[in-house]
Amino acid sequence: MNYTNYKVDKNLGRQDILFAVARVPNSSKAYVAGSDFKIHEIDFDNAKPDLRSFPGHSSYITALVLKDDTLVSGAYDGKLSWWKASTGEKIKTLDAHKKWIRQAALSPDGKLFASVADDMALRIWDIKDAKMVREMTGEHKPLTPNDFQSMLYACAFNSDGKLVATADKTGHIVVWETHTGKKVTSMEAPIMYTWDPNARRHSIGGPRSLAFSPDSKLLAVGGTGKIGNIDHLEANGRIEVFNWEKSERVHEFVTDKSKGLVEHLEFHPEGNILLGAGGAGEGFLAFIDLKEKKVAHQEKAAMNIHALASADGMKSLLAVGHHKVLHFKMA
Amino acid sequence: MNKIRKNYCGSSEHDVSRRQFLGTAASGIAGASLLAQNALSAELKKQGKSMILLWLAGGASQFETFDPKPGAITGGPFQSIQTSTPGVRISELMPKMAARFKDTCVIRSLNTKNGDHGSASQLMMRGRKDEASLKYPDMGAVLARELGKPESQVPDYVSFYLQSEGRNFSGSGFLGARFGPMELSKSVMPENINKPDHISEIDFQDRMALRNLWSKNFEKGRVSGTLASHQQAFLRVNGIMDSQKLFDVTNEPQKIRNQYGPTQFAEQVLIARRLVESGVPFVRVGRAWWDSHGQNFETHQELVPELDHVMATLLTDLEDRGMLKNTLVVTLSEFGRTPGINSSLGRDHFANAWSCSLSGCGIKGGSVYGKTDEKGDKVVEGEIGAARLFATIYKALGINPQKNYYVGSRPVPLTDPGTEPVKEVLA
Repeated sequence: MNYTNYKVDKNLGRQDILFAVARVPNSSKAYVAGSDFKIHEIDFDNAKPDLRSFPGHSSYITALVLKDDTLVSGAYDGKLSWWKASTGEKIKTLDAHKKWIRQAALSPDGKLFASVADDMALRIWDIKDAKMVREMTGEHKPLTPNDFQSMLYACAFNSDGKLVATADKTGHIVVWETHTGKKVTSMEAPIMYTWDPNARRHSIGGPRSLAFSPDSKLLAVGGTGKIGNIDHLEANGRIEVFNWEKSERVHEFVTDKSKGLVEHLEFHPEGNILLGAGGAGEGFLAFIDLKEKKVAHQEKAAMNIHALASADGMKSLLAVGHHKVLHFKMA
Repeated sequence: MNKIRKNYCGSSEHDVSRRQFLGTAASGIAGASLLAQNALSAELKKQGKSMILLWLAGGASQFETFDPKPGAITGGPFQSIQTSTPGVRISELMPKMAARFKDTCVIRSLNTKNGDHGSASQLMMRGRKDEASLKYPDMGAVLARELGKPESQVPDYVSFYLQSEGRNFSGSGFLGARFGPMELSKSVMPENINKPDHISEIDFQDRMALRNLWSKNFEKGRVSGTLASHQQAFLRVNGIMDSQKLFDVTNEPQKIRNQYGPTQFAEQVLIARRLVESGVPFVRVGRAWWDSHGQNFETHQELVPELDHVMATLLTDLEDRGMLKNTLVVTLSEFGRTPGINSSLGRDHFANAWSCSLSGCGIKGGSVYGKTDEKGDKVVEGEIGAARLFATIYKALGINPQKNYYVGSRPVPLTDPGTEPVKEVLA
């Protein structure tokens, strides 16, 4: 793929900060959501991109998954809500987690989705029945080693949906069997978590994104590096790639032109290119060539990217974040 | 040649210089006022009042503590919760303080106009800016001076600040070193007050007894303020050496330690309670570092629940011991944080509309003073600055905010001339 050839063909300014995006297949439509607690249907090719909004939650919305006409939203209020996407009609709301929902991921067959939250639970849901089918707990500790609340930030399915991975603030990563709920293995990415015991006495960082390679042999973890002054996200973005079956880190990559958190990770369908997106004061796209074992290309973004949804084999990248929606199109 | 002292030595007989006393006494009425002031001061010291300052260094966010704006574009992700006072809501990160709000007044209308860490810290520690030729004492030094007992054998001013960021804002100014803080910056245990290892306990007691014998023999037939002062200073140093056990939290029952919790901040606040219980009039516990330019909500998710738990535990503990009516607990920063959320999901420095809390001694509990607009951009009711806050704190502790100190012959009131306390905050 020619990762040097992306152009920003849409740059849509917004009042809100967006944390979640779900694209409608084969269209320029998408659902986005974030700091105004609402879900917005947009068409980024439309002269007036905002099509519809509906109030969704009582806090920041951080997760959206879409299957056919069913849209599910998750938020810091701990609730999951099911919607009829085409009308905005609410079908059901569940008190899904006791604390902030951080992320959700749709299984490859679209039947299940996973949610993770600061109650340190991974829950698997049947999207059609709107029911929880499994809960995985006990592996991610509720407190950090310094007795502060931990957070369960990220989750991702592998390509056949039989595995799901989770990552917490301290850099503890667990791979689970989706259909039994059993832990398969775990690994650590401690560099992504900074605890400052002396100058400021709190923490920052933690892995924020996960992605399995198409052949499921690799698990990529995105976050940031060790931070000196934890007032700011001043370290470069960091991606670690594990041979998860051996719990062994096989690669580490640093976005040397950009600082901040890697909040989205995605393998190209052919498996050799890994896309990381994120930021802090400003945003970035980072393309990693796994054959060459290097960050092959870095692209600045006009906003800190909090979420991204691709289409057409990554030829179209719809990024959402700080007061903007950006559409990157491969020329 | 007459010399005008610029600093206090700490001895009560030197509160006012001879020259200044004679000048004042000549006016008659002012002399009577001074005598009344001294009598009030002596009475105040007998009441055993004290203050614990929880200093939220770096600038805690008012949105994520005492002035939430849920649903506003500036409000962030947290909800507000109902406190024990109907109609008063604080951040959902503070459920324990919400449940025991009855002793606390939140001031939501601070406008202190200074968003620089260093100078804002100095301002919020002194209540005003230093002058080029006059360094004002900080709140701890003033309270050490006003509430400390001359015969006390414990420190008058203790300051915990174990983090390295944001130090060096305190000082006793023109009051001099006698009222400066015992600074604990490396450990919760004071340094250099231990008995030297090479002296045994028996040897130490023998030396004490010998010193007392010689001292009494020397004092026979002599009446001297200097001698009394010398004896007082010795007893004070000896007392401070003996006060080391107050800093040893293992002397506290495990049940109480568990109530406060395992964190460093919790341990220091528990020691602060032990200190005020033993007569220390002012303890500052610095909790750094709240300067959340990046990831504000994550930072406050860590720090606010700790503050909530420790503060609520402290207030309950003080109440259970019958100490809360005489102990003022204040949470204060150098400033608050911006309504706007920056691209790193942080909040920056903001001094135009922010909050603090006062609990216990002299305070109208279960109340809120002042108001900000719906986005938290500005104060719309009851705006006050550092001077009125300080006047309110002093008044709550029974101290006249307009009481004068004298630097040479210059009268210097505790707060800027004409500053009134906020009566709505006071019980």
